[in-house]
Amino acid sequence: MADDSQRNFRSVYYEKVGFRGVEEKKSLEILLKDDRLDIEKLCTFSQRFPLPSMYRILVWKVLLGIIPPHHESHALVMKYRKEQYWDIHHALHVIRFINDSTPQVDVFLRIHQLESGKLPRSLAFPLEPEDEVFLAIAKAMEEMVEDPIECYWLVSCFVNQLNSKHKDSLQQLPKILEQYLNIEDNRLLMHLKACAAMSKLPYDLWFKKCFAGCLPESSLQRVWDKVISGSCKILVFVAVEILLTFKMKIIALNTAEKITQFLENIPQDNTDAIVSKAVDLWRTHCGTPAHSV
Amino acid sequence: MAQQGNVGELLSMLDSPVLGVLEDITAAFKDNLICDRGPMLVNNLVDYYLETNSQQALHILSTLQEPHDKHLLDKINEYMGKAATRLPTLSLLGHVIRRQPSWKHKLSQAPLLLSLLKCLKTDTDVVVLTTGVLVLITMLPMIPQSGKQYLHDFFGIFGRLSAWCLQNPGHVAEIYLVHLHASVYALFHRLYGMYPCNFVSFLRSHYSMKENLETFEEVVKPMMEHVRIHPELVTGSKDHELDPRRWKRLETHDVVIECAKISLDPAEASYEDGYYSVSRKLCTSSKHHQTDPSASYYIDTQSSYGTSTPYSTPRLTLSQMPGQLPQILSPQSIRLSTEPQQVTIWSPSAVCGMTTPPTSPGIVPSESSQSSSQPYSKAFGTSAGGKGTPLGTPATSPPPCTSDDFVHISLPSAAATPPKKFLGGLSFEDSAEKDREEDAISKEISEITTDAEHMVPRGGFDSPFYRTNESLSGSQKKTHSVVSTVQGHSQTSEPLTSSLDKPGPESARETPKQTFTPIDKPCGGSGESPAGNREGTSGETSILTPSPCKVPAQRRVVFGSGQPPQYEHLFEVALPKTAYLFVGKKTEELLKKAKGTQDDDCMSSTSPVEVLDRLIQQGADAHTKELNKLSLPSKSADWTHFGGSPPSDEIHTLRNQLLLLHNQLLYERFKRQQHALRNRRLLRKVIKATALEEHNAAMKDQLKLQEKEIQALKLSLQKEQARYHQFQEEHENIVAQLHSQIRQLQHDREEFYNQSQELQTKLEDCRNMIADLRLELKKANNKVCHTELLLSQVSQKLSNSESVQQQMEFLNRQLLVLGEVNELYLEQLQHKHTDTTKEVEMLNAAFRKELEKAKLCVQQQSQRLDASQKRIAELESQLAKKDHLFLEQKKYLEDVKIQARGQLQAVESRYKAQKRITQAFELEILDLFGRLEKSSLLKKLEDDKTEAAEAAEERLDCGNEDAVAGYSEETIGRNGETKPPSTRGSSSSKGGSSSELSTPEKPQNQRFSSRWETSMLLEPSTTLPLTVGSLPSSKSFLGMKARELFRNKSESQCDEEGVTINRLSDALKTELCKDPSMETKAPPSPDNLSLSPKIQESSVGQLHIMDYNETHHDHS
Repeated sequence: MADDSQRNFRSVYYEKVGFRGVEEKKSLEILLKDDRLDIEKLCTFSQRFPLPSMYRILVWKVLLGIIPPHHESHALVMKYRKEQYWDIHHALHVIRFINDSTPQVDVFLRIHQLESGKLPRSLAFPLEPEDEVFLAIAKAMEEMVEDPIECYWLVSCFVNQLNSKHKDSLQQLPKILEQYLNIEDNRLLMHLKACAAMSKLPYDLWFKKCFAGCLPESSLQRVWDKVISGSCKILVFVAVEILLTFKMKIIALNTAEKITQFLENIPQDNTDAIVSKAVDLWRTHCGTPAHSV
Repeated sequence: MAQQGNVGELLSMLDSPVLGVLEDITAAFKDNLICDRGPMLVNNLVDYYLETNSQQALHILSTLQEPHDKHLLDKINEYMGKAATRLPTLSLLGHVIRRQPSWKHKLSQAPLLLSLLKCLKTDTDVVVLTTGVLVLITMLPMIPQSGKQYLHDFFGIFGRLSAWCLQNPGHVAEIYLVHLHASVYALFHRLYGMYPCNFVSFLRSHYSMKENLETFEEVVKPMMEHVRIHPELVTGSKDHELDPRRWKRLETHDVVIECAKISLDPAEASYEDGYYSVSRKLCTSSKHHQTDPSASYYIDTQSSYGTSTPYSTPRLTLSQMPGQLPQILSPQSIRLSTEPQQVTIWSPSAVCGMTTPPTSPGIVPSESSQSSSQPYSKAFGTSAGGKGTPLGTPATSPPPCTSDDFVHISLPSAAATPPKKFLGGLSFEDSAEKDREEDAISKEISEITTDAEHMVPRGGFDSPFYRTNESLSGSQKKTHSVVSTVQGHSQTSEPLTSSLDKPGPESARETPKQTFTPIDKPCGGSGESPAGNREGTSGETSILTPSPCKVPAQRRVVFGSGQPPQYEHLFEVALPKTAYLFVGKKTEELLKKAKGTQDDDCMSSTSPVEVLDRLIQQGADAHTKELNKLSLPSKSADWTHFGGSPPSDEIHTLRNQLLLLHNQLLYERFKRQQHALRNRRLLRKVIKATALEEHNAAMKDQLKLQEKEIQALKLSLQKEQARYHQFQEEHENIVAQLHSQIRQLQHDREEFYNQSQELQTKLEDCRNMIADLRLELKKANNKVCHTELLLSQVSQKLSNSESVQQQMEFLNRQLLVLGEVNELYLEQLQHKHTDTTKEVEMLNAAFRKELEKAKLCVQQQSQRLDASQKRIAELESQLAKKDHLFLEQKKYLEDVKIQARGQLQAVESRYKAQKRITQAFELEILDLFGRLEKSSLLKKLEDDKTEAAEAAEERLDCGNEDAVAGYSEETIGRNGETKPPSTRGSSSSKGGSSSELSTPEKPQNQRFSSRWETSMLLEPSTTLPLTVGSLPSSKSFLGMKARELFRNKSESQCDEEGVTINRLSDALKTELCKDPSMETKAPPSPDNLSLSPKIQESSVGQLHIMDYNETHHDHS
């Protein structure tokens, strides 16, 4: 009851009139005030509304399990995380996998590899595809998060979540993409099929890297909000929306290679709009996000 | 040049008598004219015409088309300049102009006009002047507005010629002057008609001069008597009448008629628009003259003369006419027929041919003129010969003089007779008229003939019936006034009269004037057509002696039916009946008017035209007289017979006269054409008007019909309305009846309803009563039951009471018995009751005390119960609290658990990370070991086994030194670990080989070193193993943990020798330096180990420590 009284009584009408996200910050603050954070509620919130940037990292950390739901243990757990990071960092330093000049992203990668026991025997070993994915995501995350330790943990947990929780669904995304593209714009799909580009679309970039490196970070954050809160279908809709937005250009291109090349390097001008449209599209197709987790 | 020659040939062939050749040649010329635009051909033609007077050439020239007009005009102009060729040139010009060529508007610009004017101004030849004036008069209406620049020239010419007429400066024959005068008169009319203001002002200025006054008095003034005041003089101005807009909408014939309108001269005038001129009737006088010749011709041919056979002649002529018609109809046949008849000078066909043309101004006139011109010349010759009676006039030739005399003679009579005759005909008889009645009869009879003849030419372009009509009407006219038998005769004498016949005469009788209808034009036409005759026959018509007497008759003909019937048939055919009625009505009106105005006839003076007419008349009379003296067939011999060859002078005069007459004729014909044109237009208007009237009448009829229809419809409407009303009333009645029925029924229904309600209320009352009765019944039943019950009870009670009474009786007996017993016992008791009272009292007291005690006890018990109950409640609440607390505790515990789990997870992840780290390390270590072994194996193979010891020593030496130097810190850590055993070793104080404290450490060191030794031996070159050994750094978590663990284990001992630890560490450094020396003593070290089992234990712990994972496990 106390929460409700603190909420603005107009908030109901804001949504009716079409303003979204006016009262989110407040409601999120209320959510975050709870001791022992309710992770489900946070998930729902994150699915339904865009996260305010000042709370994004905190929410992500909670959702990804980097910090426990209890406020008390946050400091302690973070301390542990930090120490763990430094331990591994040191170990890697000792075994000369990294040095001071190693870029942060590589450091993250090595730490992650070590942590998951996949550290190669030698630096010279070529990178595996999943390492590439990690690097891309880490690069994007590095832009979003200042603290390297937090960054490492977010990247690591994000990748782990992708690999564990979404592994099955990620493989089905290309099929779903085709299905929704058929609904949204049949002609475009025909064109892509005619060019045999359907199989050559940059699925790795879109679904494995979660658009890291494809969209600018400001837009990417909003996509990842949804992914982290548990819905990887949003990736499909972002992809569909990208295809629809650049429909004319794609239709103008004839070969699969050209299309793929174009899609891998789409212009970064109006990605915010694309993401907004994608979110809308996702909502229309998957109903209320709370149930489509 | 070849062409020129060719042209010459063609010209020569132009007058070929062969018809085919002629046509070919004409066609050839026309082709040439179309092809060739040069002036040569035209020039040649003009030359040829002037030379030969060829009719073919004239025909071709007069039909020239546009591009050649200039050449023609130039050529004519050229010849005009020469006095010799002037006359033929003028006649040629006249011919050309009368054809009204399409280029006539160019005339005003042509130099020809100038030269013509000049010629008229300067020439002195009367013939030329007369011809020229006629040409000019013809030309004027064609160029009304463009001719205005020469206006003063025209006026000047008029002035000069009018003066000429009087003064006769050239002293020419008077007969010429008559012609000249006539033409000047025509010019006067034309000028006055076209430019009245200008002309009057000219007259004013010209004749205000004294020297001209005489001319004015003698010549101009009489002319002015024959014109009315021109309306333009009142409304117009000098400039206005020269305004091009005025002329633009007028065609040539319009101009001519305009001019004719203002004329009072019957010969000239036109009465289209309701001008009723007094002199109107006079025109007939001249016209009858024109017709005379044709009449005389018939008489001539029949050789019947005079009034002796007045009735037969008309019939004869009439019967002859149909026979002549075919010839008239085709110009070609006319010409053919004329030629053979030339011998007899006069041929009927020639006359007919001349008179036929008016309708078509095309080829016919020229042909007729051609055909007629030749006979004329001959006729003139004869007439001249016949009239060769010099009358002593000062003129150059006597014949003209005689004719002139004739004119003078005949004039008065002609002037006098017509009105009288006419009046007589209308039964306004003068005394003079009566005197002459007999004469008149004869004249009229002769006129019937002339009328008939006069009609013939007209019949040429109409139909034969008309001729008969006309003649009929003419005869009827006369008989009307004079002899009724004549009329009957003439009527019966015409078997040819058809249905048209009747209306014609009737209308003719009623209409002395036909001014309003197109008939008027035929009037002019007839006036023109006979002109030709007149010219041609003037010499011969002298047979008809009483020429003046004919005037009135002729006039009447012209007035009345003469012309009208001519067109009557056209109306019949072309117009509906209304038109005919219209015409009839009009003619009647006009007749009446004419009657009123006829009295003034005698006042008019003779016009120059009339004078000319008379002259011709006289000439004709003279000629016929002469001819009669001769035998007809031998005319050629007449000349010699008569007076030898005629003097050339006279011939010349006669020729000229003939020429002049021809000119006059052509001029008149031109006028006739114009009238014909106008005629047609007016006819069209009449047709339109009548058509409209008919249309109107039809519309009116329709209107009437529709009105009738409307009335019928109205009637039927009224009927229908009446019926409707009736039906409505019936319907209303029925409705009213039904309404009343309904009302009655409703009333009945209400009554029934009330009745039923009453019955229902009754029914309800009955029901209520029944219910009440039933209730009562129930109550009664109840009462019955109750009473029965009571009855049974009472009976029971009764039985009971009976039994009780029995018992009572029994008990009473017993009581008695017991009373007796009691009395007995009382007696007994009184003896015994004194001893028991004390005991009872004691017992009572005891019992009371006991009771009190029990009461207290009960009180205590209840108090206790209360207390315990309260206690239970308290405890229960406490229990609930506890439970709540437990729940809270549980929750909290859960919370804590989760918290702890979260932390634990973090820790676990950390631990896992550590494990991974160690794994990585181990991997690294193993890797390194693997490398070491590999290299040592290689070394062993290389080095000798003998040198192995030394080399190993040296290597170890430097290896240890390195280790000591590089990793002192690490060694301290290790010393810490290794400390406990060493202290134990020292505490045991075994007297080993070494006296120092370091000795107990030796075995450990040895063992340690031995282990290291092997590794050293395996890979002596690398220093890395030491780094491995140096691991858990004091700083790191592991190192601290390890130290902690060891301290716990060996707490008791460590505390004691905490001080020595530092020292030992220092000592160890030195000991380690000595290690290599102790190497050889390694084998005895096991002894030491066996000596001190604790050390062994510690060493085991050390080993455990070394095995990081194991120790960790143990302690956890």
